[in-house]
Amino acid sequence: MTFARWGQALGWLFGLALMHAGDAAAQGTEVVVYTGNESTLNDLAFAAFQKDTGIKVQPVAAGSGVLVKRVQTEKDRPQGDVIWGVSRSLLETNRAHFAPYRSKNHDAIPAEHRDPEMLWIGNNLHLMVILQNTKLLPEGQGPKTWADLLDPKWKGKIAFTDPANSGSAYSTATLLVQIFGGGEGGWAKATEFFRNAKILNKSSLVFQGVGQGEYPIGVSLEYAGYLWAANGAPVKVIYPADGTIAQMEGCAVIKGGPNPDGAKAFVDFINRKDVREMIFAKTFRRPARPDLDLAKLSAGVPPLAGIKMATYDEKGWTERRAESMQRIQDIIAKTR
Amino acid sequence: MTAIRIDDVARAYGPVVAVAGVSLDIVAGELFTLLGPSGCGKTTLLRMVAGFSKLDRGRILFGDRRIDTVPPHRRNAGMVFQNYAIFPNMTVGGNVAYGLKARHVPGAEMKARIARALELVRLGGFGERWPHQLSGGQLQRVALARCLVVEPDVLLLDEPLSNLDAQLRVEMRAEIRALQQKLRITTIYVTHDQEEALAISDRVAVMRGGRVQQLGTPANIYRRPASAFVAAFLGTTNLLSGPVVARTSAGAVVLADGQRFTVTADGIAEGARVSFSLRPEAIHLSASGEALPPGWAALEARVARIEFLGAITRIEFSYADGALLRVAVLGLPPGLAEGATARLVYDPAQTTVFPAP
Amino acid sequence: MTSGRARPLFPIGVAVVAFAFLGLFMLYPLWNVFRASILDSAGETFTLANYAKVLSTAFYRAGIFNSLLIGILTTLATIAIGVPLAFCVARMPVPGKPLLLALAALPLVLPSFVGAYAWVLLLGRQGILSQALATVGVPGVSIYGIGGLVLVFTLHTFPYVMLPALAAFKAVDVSIEEAGQNLGASRLRTFQRVTLPVVMPAVLAGGLLVFMETLENFGVPFVLAEDMPILAVQAYKLFVGEAGANPALAGVLGVLLVGCTTVALLLQRFYLARRRFATAARTAPPTLAASRWLRWAAGGYAWGVVLVSLVPFFAIVAVSFMRFKGPVMHLEPSLDNFLNLFSRSQRPLANTIMLATAAAAGAAILGVPIGYVLTRFRSGAAHILDVLAMVPFAVAGTVLGIGLVISFNSGWLVLTGGWLILVLAYLVRKLPFNVRASAAILHQIDPSLEEASINLGVSPLRTFFGLTVPLMAGGIIGGTVLTWVTIASELSSTVVLYSGPWTTLTVVMFQALEGTSAGAASAAATVLILVTIVPLAFVYRLLKRHDVALV
Repeated sequence: MTFARWGQALGWLFGLALMHAGDAAAQGTEVVVYTGNESTLNDLAFAAFQKDTGIKVQPVAAGSGVLVKRVQTEKDRPQGDVIWGVSRSLLETNRAHFAPYRSKNHDAIPAEHRDPEMLWIGNNLHLMVILQNTKLLPEGQGPKTWADLLDPKWKGKIAFTDPANSGSAYSTATLLVQIFGGGEGGWAKATEFFRNAKILNKSSLVFQGVGQGEYPIGVSLEYAGYLWAANGAPVKVIYPADGTIAQMEGCAVIKGGPNPDGAKAFVDFINRKDVREMIFAKTFRRPARPDLDLAKLSAGVPPLAGIKMATYDEKGWTERRAESMQRIQDIIAKTR
Repeated sequence: MTAIRIDDVARAYGPVVAVAGVSLDIVAGELFTLLGPSGCGKTTLLRMVAGFSKLDRGRILFGDRRIDTVPPHRRNAGMVFQNYAIFPNMTVGGNVAYGLKARHVPGAEMKARIARALELVRLGGFGERWPHQLSGGQLQRVALARCLVVEPDVLLLDEPLSNLDAQLRVEMRAEIRALQQKLRITTIYVTHDQEEALAISDRVAVMRGGRVQQLGTPANIYRRPASAFVAAFLGTTNLLSGPVVARTSAGAVVLADGQRFTVTADGIAEGARVSFSLRPEAIHLSASGEALPPGWAALEARVARIEFLGAITRIEFSYADGALLRVAVLGLPPGLAEGATARLVYDPAQTTVFPAP
Repeated sequence: MTSGRARPLFPIGVAVVAFAFLGLFMLYPLWNVFRASILDSAGETFTLANYAKVLSTAFYRAGIFNSLLIGILTTLATIAIGVPLAFCVARMPVPGKPLLLALAALPLVLPSFVGAYAWVLLLGRQGILSQALATVGVPGVSIYGIGGLVLVFTLHTFPYVMLPALAAFKAVDVSIEEAGQNLGASRLRTFQRVTLPVVMPAVLAGGLLVFMETLENFGVPFVLAEDMPILAVQAYKLFVGEAGANPALAGVLGVLLVGCTTVALLLQRFYLARRRFATAARTAPPTLAASRWLRWAAGGYAWGVVLVSLVPFFAIVAVSFMRFKGPVMHLEPSLDNFLNLFSRSQRPLANTIMLATAAAAGAAILGVPIGYVLTRFRSGAAHILDVLAMVPFAVAGTVLGIGLVISFNSGWLVLTGGWLILVLAYLVRKLPFNVRASAAILHQIDPSLEEASINLGVSPLRTFFGLTVPLMAGGIIGGTVLTWVTIASELSSTVVLYSGPWTTLTVVMFQALEGTSAGAASAAATVLILVTIVPLAFVYRLLKRHDVALV
């Protein structure tokens, strides 16, 4: 075959690709949602939203670190309308990129889970729990408290997420310091915890690992344990008797996004009572609004009132974030 | 017919001088050979003419046309490469047509010219063949045909025979010479093979270290080498050196390796050190006591090794303190065995003397 | 230089275009990302403090050490496996060569994060194979750690060595080999002394790609390194970590990654510069006569390597036909994953095909001339271009993606939100591959062919398009198909750059696997595998008919 013909073929392919590209460029009544949630929840919520409002969701799904980075770099010409499924601390630190909006469900959300200037609003709460694979570790033999995890017999058996890559893992790590008595003593015990733990790179590896039997114990998010258990995996959710914390996840309207009305519609929709009920029943996301009857929706998930919550100085740990994070990183490096 | 004028051209690659100021006038229609060992600059010089090597200075002209400033594809200089450079993705005909297509020769004429060119190199009817079906000699001819069909002003041949076996080399060089004579095309021929150079050239330039050492007809440079290097490079020779110990009517007497040799030499003072070349075929065997032609010199030597080559025999003689002297004679002299002593005679006029290195 | 001297316009033109393209779409974005690493926290004063900090931290030093160790081991392993494999395919009577070749390129198809998932299913602590091994008395086998990483990377990247080596083996001039044997050398010696040196440039080019890919890849160590420090993972976390993002330190690690690769590249150049081996093979070398035993050994080896490398494929395909309840796999056959996948939009599949096609074509159009200029014109500018054209391979996709967003989100050239920015990112990232592949082929084509053409009156530009490109055609097509395949499985820059309408199949897989639908992810991976096998098989058939060297 001659070069001319190859060149022609290449040219055609290139041209076709361009035509296809140009063809699909402009589309109007859509809302672009930057979502840090996983696909099951995304699919569920976006399908329901489109059915309800007629607005199609163009999801941009990625880890919340990547999403926030995108929002920051796109600030002069935002590409997204709403960011959803990111932690309170990320919402707080990126206030500059959000537009204030008073959600129709504003009053249904407790004041502690929404921004006083209405730049963001909470959707759901992640409780930090211990997951146990009951096939690898018989049900009665699991840990009951955070303090139990310091036992050297768990060395290499506890999966935990690198706090550098996960806000909830940072909170958990600092919570442990506090529960273990705070100060140098607390840090020393937390060091023992890290010595026992496998530090994985992302949170999904922890609950996947426990669900698949790679690790007998994992420190992870409440919903994941129920999701795996409900679908037949030998996973048990343990609420540590020495108390835990709830990590809020929320959403915000991106300032200057292409479709602000769509964004607002999504923010309203996602906190509606019936929507939260559906999401809880199917994916075990504990709602931020307190008016759902969880026991009716799913047997086995205890109401917040029945779980021991620890006192946690969230403000203080957020302020000391840089140095605490550095200390955690040093501990991890030292205990490897 | 185009004369080629090379005017003080030079080229250095970093600290390495490839061509150090060479000037040559190549006469229209002659076959001119650049001869020398590898690294002497001959190929660089040829590639400068073709346009594949840059000039640091100097000029090159085809006739009155200065071409070193012309891009290589507009020089109309046909080149044959050492490895033939036949396009493997084209037939023989396609290869030959290549240059004609670039010149937009119309179809019918192109066909005729391809056929003629293939006939010329005795490859008529090979047009449809693929290169991988051809032998080395045939590829060489395709390369020649491809080159000649565009009627280049000059023909440049870069070691064209070095990839062929010995017998084919001899045949092909005769063929190339015949073609060149027939077309009367000005040709530069690069080779490191002195026999090839002597056999086909009108004139030869012997190169070394980027410079022309000697320029002349084959016979001239063979018989009258201008330097020890040229003498040694062109054919086998005995290269000897020593002080002049006496002067005679026949010439000067040089003491080399403990043996006195008589050489022709004008104006060399006694005591000066000289080198000289004595060709093996200039030395003859002579029965002891036989009368010598006037002026001839003689020496006694012992046969160290005999190499019978059919038409000629090469004999190495050791003399005086064990130094070897090479002698070539026609046929096989009777009664000569290793260890035997013989009388060697030569005409001092056949020696060439150079200043000692 | 004398005035009026003819200047080679073609290479200068190519170099100008290449410098402009790489400058705009690579250096400028990277500068925007990396400049944080040499500025103080106020972002104004130049400082090397960040570098000092990284290099004085044991954790990061361990990351550098581990990454280099894994990179070197993987490179050696791929050469040890890939070169004999290429030789078997090129010169031994191995049955089913076209199929073998098509399959041998497949490891590049599977996105590495999907491959890592498959390996955990197989060789994790509770993996199917680990448990099977445990029951036969080999307990404690697992894929985690350096050994596992080297294994996975080797099986994932050996085609980078094998395919160019194959082309080179096919291009070896048999007469050189014969000459070697005539001179009394044994077959083995001939191979060592004659064949191997001719094949070396291709092998080194491939090995370099392996080294860079291994260094840059974070998808595999993200899962399999567990808590062992790895440079690419550290860099990724510092760039986009949810909690610990630190652009300054991230920039330092990024620069270190680029630095390591540049050193590797320069070493390779240094080696090649002292050896030039062009051959002008007129015919592909014949298949060697082999005893029955040798024939079986060669066939067994070739098929064995390729099949083992495809184990994660089989695993993923098998998994895709299992029933999933939420995230949990149940060992019952089911088509639900596919029904689920096909009930969604088919746009991601179309996007993957279109974007990969556009980018692969672009990479060929740009990469082949660059490879040509680098091989044939060894000037100072060519050396700079050579290094520059390799840098993208050392840059993590995430980093380049972020750089492109920073650079082209506003201002005179706005690209974010569209498809073009994805194509540009792919093009930049895969350009080194095309450049290397082209250069490797050109090492096999004697420059005198081009000189002959120019000498016959065809300008250098027309010689390149009319003679050189057709001579390279087989390699160009092979290289372009491989580029296409690797683009189709690209994730790290896509995830930063894609916008809703331009979701690709890998993004679908990533989201699904990241969350709770491994079933959907493996179904999507199966579709991707099928979609990429088709062009691969087609091209290898085509090339076989035309008997052109592959890649």
